[in-house]
Amino acid sequence: MSATAAPAKSFRPVELEVREDGTGNLLGSRCRSCGAHFFPVRQACSGCLSQDLETVRFSTEGTLYTFSVVRQSTPDFEVPYILGYVDLPEGVRIMGQIGGCEPDDLALGMTMTLSLEPFGEDVEGNELIGYRFRPGGAGEGRP
Amino acid sequence: MTQVHVVGVGMTRFGRHPDSDAADLGAAALMEAIADADIDPRLIEAAYCGHVFQGMVTGQRVLAQVGLAGLPLANVENACSSGATAIREASFSIRAGEYDVVAAIGTEHLTSQFRGALTPDPSDPEAAVGATMPGVYAMRARRYMEEFGMTREQLALIPVKNKANAARNPLAHFRKEISVADVLESRPIADPLRLHDCSPVTDGSAVVILMSDRAAARHANGRSVRLAASALRTGSVDTEPTSMTFEPLTRDTARDAYEKAGIGPEDVDFCEVHDCFSIAEVLRVEGLGLFPQGEYPIAVERGEASIGGRLPVNPSGGLIGKGHPLGGTGVAQVVELVRQLRGESGERQIEGARVGLAHCRGGKAVGIEGAACTVQILIR
Repeated sequence: MSATAAPAKSFRPVELEVREDGTGNLLGSRCRSCGAHFFPVRQACSGCLSQDLETVRFSTEGTLYTFSVVRQSTPDFEVPYILGYVDLPEGVRIMGQIGGCEPDDLALGMTMTLSLEPFGEDVEGNELIGYRFRPGGAGEGRP
Repeated sequence: MTQVHVVGVGMTRFGRHPDSDAADLGAAALMEAIADADIDPRLIEAAYCGHVFQGMVTGQRVLAQVGLAGLPLANVENACSSGATAIREASFSIRAGEYDVVAAIGTEHLTSQFRGALTPDPSDPEAAVGATMPGVYAMRARRYMEEFGMTREQLALIPVKNKANAARNPLAHFRKEISVADVLESRPIADPLRLHDCSPVTDGSAVVILMSDRAAARHANGRSVRLAASALRTGSVDTEPTSMTFEPLTRDTARDAYEKAGIGPEDVDFCEVHDCFSIAEVLRVEGLGLFPQGEYPIAVERGEASIGGRLPVNPSGGLIGKGHPLGGTGVAQVVELVRQLRGESGERQIEGARVGLAHCRGGKAVGIEGAACTVQILIR
C-alpha cells in the first residue's frame, strides 16, 4: 500500500497520531512520577494518582495476547474480521483488528506490528486512517 | 442497623414480548411481587429501577402503570449490573433508616433495541476498532484454553447444563435441552464461541420488595429471606496488563460480600452467576473462589455444578438459558435465589439450600477490567 497525496486524517486523533509522511503511533499517557503507561490518554495516574502525565508515542511492535475471528458485529463493520489484543513493551494492552494474515497464521505470543491503514470515513466521506496489527516485526507503521 | 429482608418477588416470563414495553413488563413483575409479599401496595415507600437502554424515566413509567406514581424513584444504570445495583441502592435506603419498605425493579425490552452482538458504548476506543462483547469473551476463551488446556467440548458442557436447567424453568427464554453436538454445530459468532455459547437478546422484568426488621416483623408473610450482603465494585485501570483468564474484580467484590455476610465461599450452597457467555461462567465461579482456577471445566464434566451436584451453578438456566434482559438480569437472579431458598423451585429445586449467591458483571470500557460488578448473598 502506498502513501496517498491527500493529507491523511486519523480516525481517532486522541488515540492515533498520523503524520504527514504517513507514519504514526498510538498515543497514551506516561506518568512522570512513577513511570506507568496508560492507553488511552488519562488525566491522572491510576498507580500513584499523580496528575503529572505526559502524552507519549507508543512502540509499534508488541506481542499477541489473544485473538478471535468476529463473525457477527454492528453494521459499521464488515464481517468476518480478526480482533486481537497486543501487549506493547510500555506495559499497555491494545485492542485492534489484525490484518495481512489468515487466522491459522496466528499464535499467541507472536510479534505483531502496528500498521496504519484506511479505516472508515468521516461524515463528509473523506477516507480516514486507522490502525491494524500485522504479524511480524520491524514495521514502520506506514500506510 | 437493621437487616434487609426480601419479602416478595415477581418476574415476567423471559423471552420475546413484541406486544409489551419495558414499563409494561416492569409493572407486571411489580404487581406479582406485591401479591407474593401479600401486602397493601401503599406500604411501599420508595423504588429503584435498573435498566440500560430504555430511555428516560422508565421506572416512573412502571409506577404510573400500577398506581404508585408519586413515590420517590431513582433510575439506575450500571450496564448488566443495573438491576443488582438497584437492589443495592434499595437496601441501603433501608439500612440508612430512611425507609422500611422499598421495591427494586429491573426491566429491559431488549428485542426492540438490539439485534445480535452487544457492543461497548460507541464513544469507546475499543468500540471504534470493532469490539463486540462476544468478541471480547471469545478472546478470553481462547486464552483460557491455551493456559489451562480446556477443550472446546468441555466449554460446550456449560450451555448444555444451563439449557437443561432452563428447560425446567417455566419463565426461561429457552425451554429445550441441547447436546454438546448442538453447541459445536451452531453458528459461529466469534471464534471459538458459537451461538449456543451466547446469552440471547431477551425482554423481561423482575422485582423484589425489601423490608427492614421492623416492617418485616409486622408485614412479612413468613417466607422472607435475608439479603445478607450486596456488594458493588468498579474495575480499576491497571498499570500493567493483567491476566484475562482470572477476574480480580469478581474476587474483590466477592470478598466484600463474604465479609459483610460473615461467610466464606465454602458456605455457598448454590449460585447464579453472570454467564453472558459460556466462558464467562468459568471466569466468574473461579473469581468467586467457588472452584480453584483452571478446574471449573473439569468440575462441570463431573456434574459438580449441576442441580444435585456439589455446588449447582445457574439452576435458573442462567443468562444463557433463562435469557439476559440487561436491567432485569440482576433482579431475576435474586428472584431465583429467593424461590430456591423458599423451596418453591419445582423440578429444579436444590434440596436443603440455605445460602445462595448472585453475581453480575457488566460493561466494557477501554483499559478497565470490567465496569460494574455486584455480588449479593441471600441466607434463609
